[in-house]
Amino acid sequence: MIAQLWQYVLAGVVVGAIYALVAAGFVLIYQVTGLINFAQGEFAMIGAMTVCALAASGMPAPGAAVLAVIAAAVAGALCYVLAIRPARGANGVTLIFITLGLDVALRGLGLFIWGTNPLSLNPFTGGAAITIFGGALPPQALWVLLTDAIVFGALYVFFRHTHAGTAVRAAVANPPIASTFGIPLRTFAFWSFVAAAAIGGLGGVVVAPITSATYDMGLTFGLAGFVAAVLGGLDSLPGALVGGFALGIVEKLAGGLLSTGWEQGVGFLILVLVLVLRPQGLLGRAARRA
Amino acid sequence: MAYGRIALVLLVLVAVLVWFLPSYYTGLLTQIGLYALVTIGLNLFMGYAGQVSLGQAAFMGIGAYTSAAFAVKGHVTPWLGMVAGAAMAALVAYVLSFVALRLRENLLALATLALGIVINVVFNESEYIGASSGFKDIPGFAIGSLAFDQRAYAVLAWALVAIGIWFAGNLVRSSFGRALIAISAGELGAEALGVDAERLKRQTFVLSAVYAGVAGAVYASSFSYIDPTSFSFLLSVNFVLMSVIGGIRSLWGGVIGALVVVALGQILQNVVPVVLPSARGDFQSFFLGAILIAMLILLPRGITSRFGEARA
Repeated sequence: MIAQLWQYVLAGVVVGAIYALVAAGFVLIYQVTGLINFAQGEFAMIGAMTVCALAASGMPAPGAAVLAVIAAAVAGALCYVLAIRPARGANGVTLIFITLGLDVALRGLGLFIWGTNPLSLNPFTGGAAITIFGGALPPQALWVLLTDAIVFGALYVFFRHTHAGTAVRAAVANPPIASTFGIPLRTFAFWSFVAAAAIGGLGGVVVAPITSATYDMGLTFGLAGFVAAVLGGLDSLPGALVGGFALGIVEKLAGGLLSTGWEQGVGFLILVLVLVLRPQGLLGRAARRA
Repeated sequence: MAYGRIALVLLVLVAVLVWFLPSYYTGLLTQIGLYALVTIGLNLFMGYAGQVSLGQAAFMGIGAYTSAAFAVKGHVTPWLGMVAGAAMAALVAYVLSFVALRLRENLLALATLALGIVINVVFNESEYIGASSGFKDIPGFAIGSLAFDQRAYAVLAWALVAIGIWFAGNLVRSSFGRALIAISAGELGAEALGVDAERLKRQTFVLSAVYAGVAGAVYASSFSYIDPTSFSFLLSVNFVLMSVIGGIRSLWGGVIGALVVVALGQILQNVVPVVLPSARGDFQSFFLGAILIAMLILLPRGITSRFGEARA
């Protein structure tokens, strides 16, 4: 029994690591623009589908992975330039509708380009499963965790130890005053979309060997990413990391102990509870936006 | 604008059309009517009261499942099932409103999305209502010994649209409607003027669930088959599409939005494969998403705002 639970936890850590990446994208965009980007999961879809399609056409995996991340980043840039920036000044509900429209459009585009068949990708490295205290972890899981470490490490260094990162934090803390100091808010909004899309795309690339890629995978990852982001705190990057892992583990436990249907359902129950009891999330600050 | 009279004219038009249309199009007409009903209710909540719901399909599902369970398990006529479905949807909305309506904008959107998905998981996991295989052979409507055919369902759906639009039309022109618009302009200001915002939002949310519940009950009987995938998150997104494309603060917007989205889906499904033979599946969603974004940027108040009605 304990061994079985441990195995669920390990499986949860692997999906949780991906959720954390998607959640990081949500948090980046939410912090800089105050917007919940419902299309976030689709960037992971674009990353995963691109890398699979390119690898299938014979391109070496590292090159395909880089191009896939670039493709996702370009999609993020286009989303901002074509849909978000023209609607600036619109109210919050309108912006929600716009990002929902982006989600629907990107999923349709994925279907258009890649069709309905799932695409698969070989793991980055071969080898036998790794055993940790009797639980098995596929080798690809290490790549996923490594990606998390690199991405969150890079975000930490950027926000804490670079001039640009400090400027972004100033812009988040007080947009009008930051603006009077010459901090370009709109440029930051653009780059937040690019960065969020690139991170989401990278998540898609590393998960592709584990869950094969389909045009509608973005919905699952996007929804899980929200839950993780809200759980950890929408304005907290460490929260995204904690929320991602917590959600992944709880989901796999619920899926193993209750039923596969509740694997997804439990996350949304948690989301509702968090929104009602602790809207700022586990690590977020209280009442930044009422 | 005389909502009731125009709705009656539409109903007569549908009643005549069904005798000439092939049965496939009659089915589409029923579908448009039922979607329009849901969207009219949604427009009261989103357009007039200024809130947002990404879980409306769940209320349609509750109406459908309640009516189907009554008919299949209890052999209760769908006419009563429709009332029970609406009542059940209203009850669930009432309970959930205490959770959801404390939140605004972004968080309200997330909460309604989550509740909609949880309700769908409940459908999927409840053995009593067929779990993932749903209900088959749901008994149809009948008057006396006369069982409903496709034509009768189209007329029923549009009769409900007519009633729904007449009722909502009276509502939005009353002090209730003006109070809703005040809430959407600013809750604090509305409360300062003596509007009980929380109560009104709750009533509107429940009313929108009633519209969806009725539509769901008719949907279950007219298609005689439902399962959890019929009421997924994607359908909720489609209702938002219809609402926004038609015009969110407009009752006719609900009808026009449903018509445009269903018709566009049909047209795209026929035209796109001719232009791009490799396209398959539900690709028209790309165009619907793109149209939604374009509309929100260029024509934020929907198609009907061009008719000058949205100012009402």
